[in-house]
Amino acid sequence: MSSQPRLTIPFAASASDARRRFLSPYSRRDFLGVSLASVLGVSFSGWLPKLAKAAESSPEARGKSCILLWMSGGPSQTDTFDLKPGHANGGPFREIGTAVPGIRISEHLPRVAKEMKDLAIIRSLSTKEGEHGLATQLMLTGYQPRQEAVRYPTLGSLISKEIGRNDNDLPNFVSLSPMRMGDAGFLGPNYAPLTVSGASDDPNARANLSLEDLAPPRDRDEASLKSQFDILRFMQQNFAANHASEAVRSHRASYAKAMRMVETQARQAFALEDEKPELRDAYGRNRFGQGCLLARRLVERGVAFVEVALTGTNNALGWDTHGDNFNQVQSLSEVLDPAWSTLMNDLRDRGLLESTMIVWMGEFGRTPRINPQNGRDHFPAAWSVVLGGAGIKGGQVIGRTSPSGEEVADRPVSVADVYATVCRGLGIDPWRENISPEGRPIRIVDSSGDAIEELVG
Amino acid sequence: MARCLVVAIVLLGLASPSATADDAVPPRRLTPQELADWIDQRFAEEYRRLGAAPAAIVDDATFLRRIYLDLQGRIPTVAQMRDFLADQTSFKRQDYVDRLLANDQPPERFAQRSSEHLGRVWRRMMVPASAPNAAMAPQLDPWLAQQFAENTPYDEFARKLLAAPAAANPQTPAMMGPDAGAAMFQQAVGPQPENLASAYVRVFLGVRIQCAQCHDHPMAAWSQNDFWGMAALLGAGAAAQNSPMPAPTIKPVTEDVAYTAKLLWSEEPLAEIPAGKSPRELLADWLVSPNNPNFAATAVNRTWQYLCGRGLVGSVDDLDQVSDEERKILDDLAKLFVDSGYDVAWLITGICKSKVYQQAAAGEPGGYGEGFVHRPLKTLLPEQVFDSLEQALNLPVARIDNGPRFNGERDQFVARMNESAAETPSDYKGGIPQALMLMNGKLTADATSLDNSRTLRAVIEAPFLADEEKIETLYMASLTRRPSEEEMAFLLEHVQSKKAPQERKQAYAEIFWGLLNSPEFVLSR
Repeated sequence: MSSQPRLTIPFAASASDARRRFLSPYSRRDFLGVSLASVLGVSFSGWLPKLAKAAESSPEARGKSCILLWMSGGPSQTDTFDLKPGHANGGPFREIGTAVPGIRISEHLPRVAKEMKDLAIIRSLSTKEGEHGLATQLMLTGYQPRQEAVRYPTLGSLISKEIGRNDNDLPNFVSLSPMRMGDAGFLGPNYAPLTVSGASDDPNARANLSLEDLAPPRDRDEASLKSQFDILRFMQQNFAANHASEAVRSHRASYAKAMRMVETQARQAFALEDEKPELRDAYGRNRFGQGCLLARRLVERGVAFVEVALTGTNNALGWDTHGDNFNQVQSLSEVLDPAWSTLMNDLRDRGLLESTMIVWMGEFGRTPRINPQNGRDHFPAAWSVVLGGAGIKGGQVIGRTSPSGEEVADRPVSVADVYATVCRGLGIDPWRENISPEGRPIRIVDSSGDAIEELVG
Repeated sequence: MARCLVVAIVLLGLASPSATADDAVPPRRLTPQELADWIDQRFAEEYRRLGAAPAAIVDDATFLRRIYLDLQGRIPTVAQMRDFLADQTSFKRQDYVDRLLANDQPPERFAQRSSEHLGRVWRRMMVPASAPNAAMAPQLDPWLAQQFAENTPYDEFARKLLAAPAAANPQTPAMMGPDAGAAMFQQAVGPQPENLASAYVRVFLGVRIQCAQCHDHPMAAWSQNDFWGMAALLGAGAAAQNSPMPAPTIKPVTEDVAYTAKLLWSEEPLAEIPAGKSPRELLADWLVSPNNPNFAATAVNRTWQYLCGRGLVGSVDDLDQVSDEERKILDDLAKLFVDSGYDVAWLITGICKSKVYQQAAAGEPGGYGEGFVHRPLKTLLPEQVFDSLEQALNLPVARIDNGPRFNGERDQFVARMNESAAETPSDYKGGIPQALMLMNGKLTADATSLDNSRTLRAVIEAPFLADEEKIETLYMASLTRRPSEEEMAFLLEHVQSKKAPQERKQAYAEIFWGLLNSPEFVLSR
């Protein structure tokens, strides 16, 4: 991998923009810019000697990480990890064997099936929220949404606060999602995610999930950038002295992280073009596939928590298959299967799987009964999530649903149980308390939860 | 001011202001200045009750920036600032409020800009980022701007939004008359009855009932009957009949029960829809009625929240969670608003002319238990940030220049800011991508480029300006104020430490970059 930062030519945004630039007296500088960029690149690595060593440190030296694969809209358990062949609720999908004898999953997840030794399916999750917003809040915070004024932090904020490193040049929590997921709640701006939407008018940025505007303008040299930052810090300090408010702290926290990323050019984490084309193909040339690849690059650079959302191509709630469920689930599975399995292999190849936990879940499951639109509706009563990687004893199935899939038949599991399991797997004490701004101690995980011992014991 | 107040009190029999609400005095429309004095009087009471001191009144420059951002959606120019500071007339602040809202003389077209800006503000209130088709919401802007320009009474405004049938094809609302644009609201919040029910009730009544869609609400008093009863009225939309028709019903997809139309806060479902009314007209009559406890109060609370940073009553969407005592001032002000004929311009003018509006922002919310008496910093809306940058940078605004407003740059900028826009004015939610855009994006790059920046070149190349004056001009262009002594010393040192002319020029660019990226630029004091 080249350690030299690549500066892309900024803002080749639209035809009219390009035309304007061409007509402007400065257009010649666009050509010069190519060589200027390389000159500037050298000066960057001079500024940051750490850069060259970026991807080199050993996995042992790092803490653990967690990647959340978020299935937005609520994935159908009956058509992925808890099939009901032979039952009227079963639908047309066939079941296939996996790398673990006795565990069978959907025919449309053949490559994930091969990874089953490192994955554990929980088939008996039971929750109480059936509306997208509330259910998302529940699954992403581990706490029942309430009217009371506590803003519960999202999973990524909770986890990255515990295992993230303060000396990292990258934020400890990165969210790769076209929509906004959870936020840091009462933990405050220091634990908020860096959200990379992948949504952009710049086709290159979209395909690459790159972080736009990471490179400073070409006409600034290193000394000038440093002066800018010094002046800004002075102004921030002055303003904060007279206006001590949460908004000012949030602004400062975001800028501190952004400045650090500019200084280090985010250690090239977002330069997916540095990867072999074959590997990028294997992940899938779509936002979720490339998001999983980016997640690996981030974890490799010490990012503690990465969430990658699999949404629909046209809407934010891809798995919300009220109609035409089977065609939709099949095509979503065909995005999920290569991305997830390649991620597992890629992490394993780099010795990172044993330090990286994978969590697969959505906000709820879907009705086992098939509705007249050949769809499935919201169903929180009995559904599946999958855990794997670091700290999780794979190759197991926890719990069971009834033959119709409509009830939990064995070993009901709550959200808090899942959260406690994730924490234990990552070496975090689930009962440690965070203190809310009102001074109220709030446990990382709701005290009703118990870790699933079979998975982490 | 004090004299006005006395006059108002005498005129209105307001010796004991708490008597106003229930007083039998027939409704008389206050002037905006009387409204301002009424507000100040009520707040004075409140400060006494809380044993709190009101914050100081801000200086002219801060007031000017505030009023420009709130009404015009942008900061003032250096020239506008200088003119205002030089103005020696005694009611210049009050006059400026009138000017920005009512003066439509070219080239400034203040009134038009205010209408456009307030329309955008209202669109953001009405359609949250999480709405199903939030991306369509900006298509509402022209219609909303028109309503503010014409000062449509708020009850009529609500009726228009409610009466407009959901357009079968959202692409062609222009085909259907002057208020067709209103239909875009229903598209943006999702045209299904259940989406409409929660949207109308939240926007106009300040309560959230959507939790009751699937189950009776555990904390608030809402049941599924409440939710679906409202949804039933917003179904396909029967027309008015000559004879009474049965109350409409609705059957949720996920349930086997059908719910009959019911108005919120009533125990029983409707027996029938009377002759001559459609279900939606009946709903509109009830919604905007002066007897509806929340309609005028919600309008007032939202306006107050926008202008002063937080609602007169805590969360503007949870009006059902507060006691009568807590909403006393709000309800009294709402009553005056009803008496004004739901006059939105009157309300905005009155608030902006009050001393309460002119108080300095406190960093922390209150500290007195009831936060509304102190003004928080307000985070600029995405369009306010862009338009203020445009102003600070002296960018070409005219279409013919193909400036950033019209070549797609503004849309891109706003879209990125929208990814993490806050839902309430006192929150700052901007993350790293937003910071990076302001730090390194094309707009800032050009703004701080010695070759491209109009402001910077004007300042740097002005032969008659001393170093201090150059720094001062950059402050006025971006922050609408002069630098403090400490700031001047620090920055002067930065400039004068550079010996080479080019380096010295670059030092000004660095300062300007710092100003545009400072928290003070995006947080309104």
